[in-house]
Amino acid sequence: MLNLIVILPFFSALLLALIYLSNPKQKRYQLYTTIGVGTILTITLFSLFILLEVVQNGKTLHTTLFTWLSLGELQIELAFRADKLSVVMISFITFIGSLIHIYAAGYMKDDTGYGKFFSYFNLFMGSMLLLVLANNPIIMFIGWELVGVSSYLLIGFYHKESANITAANKAFILNRVGDFGFIMGIALLFISLEGSGFSFEDIEANIFSIDSEKLSLIGILLFVGAMGKSAQIPLYVWLPDAMAGPTPVSALIHAATMVTAGVYMVSRYSFLYEQIPDVGVFIAYIGAFSALFAAIIASYQSDIKKILAYSTMSQLGYMFIAVGLGAYSSGIFHVFTHAFFKALLFMGAGAVIVALHHEQNIFKMGTLKTKLKLIYITMFIATLAISGIPPFAGFFSKDAILVTAFASEHYTLWAMGSLTAGLTAFYMFRLIFTVFHAQAKKEHSLQSLPKSMTYPLVVLAFGSSVAGFLGVNSAYGGDMLINSFLSLPDRVHPISHTTEYILGSLNVLLALGGMGLAYKLFAKNPKEPQESTIYKKIVINKFYIDEIYTVLIIKPLLLLSHFIADVLEKRVFDALIDTTVWLYLGASKQFIKLQNAKVRYYALYILSGLSFISLYLIFKLGVIS
Amino acid sequence: MMANILTTIIFLPLSVALFLGLFRADLKLLRIGAILSSLGTLGLTLLLLSHFNPEATQMQFVVNHAWIQNAGMHYKLGIDYLSLVILLLITFLMPLLYLYMLKESRKGYWYNMMLLQTGVTGAVLSLDLILFYLFWETMLLPIFVMIGKYGSSMRQYNSMKILLITVLGSMSMLFSILYIGYIYFETHAVWSFALSDLSSITFQARTSIWLAAGFLLAFAIKIPLVGFHTWMAPAYGSAPTPAVVIMSAIMAKLGIYGLWRFGFGLFSETLKFYEPTIIVLALIGLLYYAIRAITETNLRRMFAYSSGSHLSLIALGLFLSNIYAWGGSLYFIITHAIASAGVFMMIGLTYYRFKTIQIDELGGIASSAPIFTFFFAFFALSIAGLPGTGGFVAELLIIIGAFKESFIIGLFTATTMLSAMVYIFWMLQRTLFGVQKNICEFKDLNKKEILMLSPLVILLLVTGIAPSLFIPLFEPQLSISLNEILTLTQGAN
Repeated sequence: MLNLIVILPFFSALLLALIYLSNPKQKRYQLYTTIGVGTILTITLFSLFILLEVVQNGKTLHTTLFTWLSLGELQIELAFRADKLSVVMISFITFIGSLIHIYAAGYMKDDTGYGKFFSYFNLFMGSMLLLVLANNPIIMFIGWELVGVSSYLLIGFYHKESANITAANKAFILNRVGDFGFIMGIALLFISLEGSGFSFEDIEANIFSIDSEKLSLIGILLFVGAMGKSAQIPLYVWLPDAMAGPTPVSALIHAATMVTAGVYMVSRYSFLYEQIPDVGVFIAYIGAFSALFAAIIASYQSDIKKILAYSTMSQLGYMFIAVGLGAYSSGIFHVFTHAFFKALLFMGAGAVIVALHHEQNIFKMGTLKTKLKLIYITMFIATLAISGIPPFAGFFSKDAILVTAFASEHYTLWAMGSLTAGLTAFYMFRLIFTVFHAQAKKEHSLQSLPKSMTYPLVVLAFGSSVAGFLGVNSAYGGDMLINSFLSLPDRVHPISHTTEYILGSLNVLLALGGMGLAYKLFAKNPKEPQESTIYKKIVINKFYIDEIYTVLIIKPLLLLSHFIADVLEKRVFDALIDTTVWLYLGASKQFIKLQNAKVRYYALYILSGLSFISLYLIFKLGVIS
Repeated sequence: MMANILTTIIFLPLSVALFLGLFRADLKLLRIGAILSSLGTLGLTLLLLSHFNPEATQMQFVVNHAWIQNAGMHYKLGIDYLSLVILLLITFLMPLLYLYMLKESRKGYWYNMMLLQTGVTGAVLSLDLILFYLFWETMLLPIFVMIGKYGSSMRQYNSMKILLITVLGSMSMLFSILYIGYIYFETHAVWSFALSDLSSITFQARTSIWLAAGFLLAFAIKIPLVGFHTWMAPAYGSAPTPAVVIMSAIMAKLGIYGLWRFGFGLFSETLKFYEPTIIVLALIGLLYYAIRAITETNLRRMFAYSSGSHLSLIALGLFLSNIYAWGGSLYFIITHAIASAGVFMMIGLTYYRFKTIQIDELGGIASSAPIFTFFFAFFALSIAGLPGTGGFVAELLIIIGAFKESFIIGLFTATTMLSAMVYIFWMLQRTLFGVQKNICEFKDLNKKEILMLSPLVILLLVTGIAPSLFIPLFEPQLSISLNEILTLTQGAN
């Protein structure tokens, strides 16, 4: 069954691709939906069974398909393992994934590439599940890379617009930059442990044989991979552009899959990061900076999907604060709750966009509160959850992270996290108030939405409300169910309940403050941000990071390429050859002069030749004497 | 039957060509003859494969006849893991190439292809240096003719360029071969050019450095390593598609093969002296060609540079001398050949439809031809090392091998993850996506074309998903010969 969870999506992706390619023009809505959505529903059921099995037995399940590669000491099995961590991951990946699939069946209904879309979508799911279930770093890396490839295909799905392909390229290239670090980490890890097996269990057992300096290097290199996949500073720039794909894609990439891979990876290697807490602190700082930075940018964006994109980056920052500080379970817990409310927000946003005939600027929306009632209510719940208002899911998971930062005496991290929490409430309610409450500038004729696009929202709204109860900590009367289930090597920092209450209420106050400010500014008559001051200009233009990258990396690379083509190739390498030819020709011209068709010259040559031979015979060989 | 199987595999195409030429066969017969000869060699090679013993330590199916007795030249053939891999590639690609050029009506084209097959096969199977040299030059002739006669844009200039530069390499190699033969004569009082005899010579350090240089020059030009590559882009740019496929998929690999068989066979100690230079050249080449390819506007030339970049990586793996790098290099020989054959065929098909392969004149293919797009993107991505295709496995192995050598080499080798990607993705964006600029109607692939390309796709997927099916074929012999070389070079230190 575990094998099937990975194989089925790949198989159905292949099947869909073959059916699609056999006749691209034909519409086969029913067939594609049955295969595409049916597969994911099936594996969701399978995942639930496996979850139950692991919960009941508490044991890790192993399966092996076949030996993937065997060369020297490199023995790589295509093997899967469902331990507590991966089983939690696959449960919500498949669950939320199937809701998004159902939603996509409505959203993409009239697209000519419907079959192709589901082929890519299933490929993406398969890759993500391969990543999560892999039993060794190499297979995990294959899944990791395939996630990048399928996200490229999905982001560039509307391929007639060249800008969309640019976004897809950007996503893939930045992910690959991350993978560049990741593969180095894996190769180094393998070489350091050569001969003692390379499954995660083997690595964990032998991790002590690597000295800490090398281990730190490996840890950092692996984390570079996470920076790319999970869109952290400095490799985050692909994430906002990835909005070029269809909205279900954004929901899938941002909520349950892809971006969470980095957090999962660090938790998977928690045994390694436990040995190198300094690298962990570095990770936490990268996370905190990303969280704050993205929250600031999000507060000034006007595109509904971009706001959500930056909010994803910001929330991922929280997760990295957690895993960096050794609170792996809290990190995974936030991944888990975030999956619900972020999927909901994206799907809600997609519904709004479709209803308004593909309008994405929130300042051109408004007064949708009554017209799109269901979407309004569900998105409002998700916003409460992401802002950390109790008792919605986000409160418990975010609180756990900030408490960890405070308790481990990283007060800077804590302050940055809390500030971000306030900003999060601000920009999220800014979105809600502008879209749903404010007076619309013009009357919209709304397009009706299919049921498959609205029902999943209700399910997710329910999840966003209650998912947090799985990880309530003792201060709030819970017993941290998810933490004790995951049994990761968490570092625990004892802290009194009173402090926890103070921290918790401070965050709620900050969130309410952000909410209030957003209400004051945007609920009645919102104004689109103008580039009136330098500060605003910089923020609205996202700190010009894209432009800086262009100047620092892309331009020099193109220049170098031109330099090679025009100078090195032509003036150096070709010139060398041409000079030889030229010299040869020159020599030939000199010899032509000798051969001038005048008999007296030829007689001279004969004479001198004969003289030389005679002299040689006489003096050197002594013929005469 | 099995005794003369290698001879049959080599000369079947040539003798079919001679026979058909003698009777002035018409085009139809010629076509059938060529295809049958390629299928025949494929069948024989598969038969050979079924009798091949992967555990054996010696050359197998050895044929040894005296050829020019006084001068010690032998007609000596044999096969081991290395030549088997390349032989399989040749015989697998030839039928597909004939399928590709099925509509070709110029008879000379077909004759040249058959001669070419005999040339490359002979070079891979020869174990006598003079015989090797003979085939090595034989395979150049058809390429010269095909570029010069059937090529495009400045074809005669470019065919002359590849001929002269390559001959320069072969001449230096011939000089080395003769001199080695002479050294053998001095010590043994008989002439011999058999590899097994000559590899027993212990050279003086100084002489061997010069002798090795003669070989290295020939192989460096053929691969080509950076600095020896001026012929590459023009030749690839002008050559007709089947010739490009052979050049990239087979002939460039023969440069690697030569290094592997004769370089390490004769000069394993001396190569230690060249090792740092070649590793640096290969690393530079990896990035140099890839960066050059970014701004190239002609598809065929772009993938010429791409080919150069990946062959540098293969050469690098060879000189890293550990099991992962060697395994990776050999695996890359297979998978890169298949992927680049696919890419160059797709480029040929693009030209066939649009009459141009200038990137800025293309675009929007995805909207009108989804099947074409699938194949094109698949081959291009497999060149970029898409996981699930064989190239990924090969690159992974070479990267691991490089890290085993040292962190710095590993770091530079890992840039292969980035180098190919930039030009490939930008190229895909401008060729396949966006809107069509060309007014011609772009027809999607027909059944024949799908039939021709599918084996390549399937093979790339199988090599990527289950490398364990292929690696045991060469792993035992690979580790044996690697260990031999390692003991030899360690003895020298």
